Amino acid sequence: MDWFVINLLNGISYGMVLFLIAAGMSIVLGAMGITNLAHGALYMVGAYAGWTVTVKWGASFWLGLLAGGLCAGLVGLAIERGLLRHLYKKPNEQVLLTFGFVYILANLCLWIWGGWPRMPFTAKFLTGSMEILGRAFPKARVAVIIVGLVLAVGLWWLQEKTRMGAIVRAGMDDKETTMGLGINLERAFALIFFVSAFIAGSAGVIGAQLLGVHNALGMDILLLALIVIIVGGVGSIQGALLGGILIGVIDVFGKAVFPQLAMFTMYLTMIIVIIVRPAGLLGRKI
Amino acid sequence: METTKQDRGQDRWISRAAPYLLGTLVLLITPLFLDTYGQGLMTRFLVFALFAMSFNIVFGYAGLMSLGHAAFFGAGGYTVALLKLHYDVNLFWISAPLGILVATFIAAIFGIIALRASGIYFLLVTFALGQMLYSLAWNVKWLNSKGMQGITGINLPDLGIPGFTLDTISFYYLVLIFFLLSCVLLYRLVISPFGLALVGIREGEPRMEAVGYNTWFLKYAAFVVSGAFAGLAGVLFAYYNLFVSPNHLGIATSFLPMVMAIMGGLGTFLGPVVGAAVFIFVENFASILSPQRWPLVLGTLFVLTIMFAREGIGVYLWRLWTRWGRDYGSVKN
Repeated sequence: MDWFVINLLNGISYGMVLFLIAAGMSIVLGAMGITNLAHGALYMVGAYAGWTVTVKWGASFWLGLLAGGLCAGLVGLAIERGLLRHLYKKPNEQVLLTFGFVYILANLCLWIWGGWPRMPFTAKFLTGSMEILGRAFPKARVAVIIVGLVLAVGLWWLQEKTRMGAIVRAGMDDKETTMGLGINLERAFALIFFVSAFIAGSAGVIGAQLLGVHNALGMDILLLALIVIIVGGVGSIQGALLGGILIGVIDVFGKAVFPQLAMFTMYLTMIIVIIVRPAGLLGRKI
Repeated sequence: METTKQDRGQDRWISRAAPYLLGTLVLLITPLFLDTYGQGLMTRFLVFALFAMSFNIVFGYAGLMSLGHAAFFGAGGYTVALLKLHYDVNLFWISAPLGILVATFIAAIFGIIALRASGIYFLLVTFALGQMLYSLAWNVKWLNSKGMQGITGINLPDLGIPGFTLDTISFYYLVLIFFLLSCVLLYRLVISPFGLALVGIREGEPRMEAVGYNTWFLKYAAFVVSGAFAGLAGVLFAYYNLFVSPNHLGIATSFLPMVMAIMGGLGTFLGPVVGAAVFIFVENFASILSPQRWPLVLGTLFVLTIMFAREGIGVYLWRLWTRWGRDYGSVKN
């Protein structure tokens, strides 16, 4: 029984990291119609920046979190303002462009930070473990679950209840009319993209305790994000949350029960979801 | 009036055929003047040009953006490698048809699953399916040589002709034969009613449905045929590279034909070939000058292509050709 609970908690905390990874990408895809394959690379940029601030400079974890988010956010903003802005409604071009940045950012990170992988790290006050059902459970993972839930509620609120969210939803449905109403859609889109990249970057710092920091992260994270988005459905926060937790739990149990099949259980889940519900569990048609 | 039209038609035929004939001639003669390294490079070019052309059927003509095309390419390559590894079969006339068959079979299954989705979901689903094969290749022992990832120990194929073994240049000509043969077949396909219907689907699927076409079946057929040609490219690649790894099934390889097709000119017949030539050329020079920075160059190449040559380099070349000759027709199909 406690084996089950501990694995479930592990799965949920991993799922929360997956949610953090996929949320930004899902929003950008759903709200702006932009397929940003560089999302994983932005995560990696954030993770490296967070490592520099937290581990190398020994500054506080919060500062690292902010640095990771800002670095990724600014890189993302530069890509959006400089290039992607010209490619709205052109999915093929977006895919190729952003995939180019997977290579570019990975190589630049290799240049700046070198090829050796960094050990997982987390905040000092989160090291150590607490007791759940008589078993030790790392505090940091509990913290991840809490952060994930808070962010999920925050993003949902932003999307459904604020003026900003309304502007974005309106802009997606009918760009011309929205702009005709005097709304600066470009600025809204830039902001959304920045927020998405910011979340990716800080997710890199938070996820570093589980996944470490290394140069292949850009691709690994992209795969995870895409799986979560396919399972959960494009463009909804709830979808990303459900998909993240489902995949996290299935992966942890899959590894515990069939260790040799590692990643395969994830893909199998995804294929079953596709066959049963092509638009994902909570997806809406775009 | 009638005669001038006919004259024009003939003239146009020559003007249209000239680049093909010229290209074939170059492909036939150039390797004779190159060393084995250059010949290998040209083989690599032909393999990827074929791969990109097969991809172009799905992406350029039918407008379906597949991100899992390496699954079929890799399946062809793995079939060759597995036959050698487990059954010591190296006869070209067994390995190659089996490779194409396996690739076609996988395309037939993936097509059924992937075509349940459309638009961006189709991209995600094909990507996921390809990635599944990739993870299988990583984890299943039978799909790997002992103690490593991927399969080594592939030799140049045995053609079953007594007293004749292939070397680099004769292998190049073998690949060239299959490349040219595929070109002819694919060209026939593209100008056939089937090919035109695919373009119709790309431009407006609901309309094609309204006119009475079974668009699902047309897309499915395009997907499977394209998978078969990608499988052939994979078979040839395995013999060229002498090594297959899980990466050849995954997204890193799936992106190559996409880049080549877009770079050369999407939905044009020879565009992907031009794209492949440019790509292999840049790859070769970048990796000689600075292997460490090659990904940076590659990424920048993607970005520049998208920002400045979105129509494709091949299309520009064609325009130059028609302006130099006479201005006939457009390139798009």
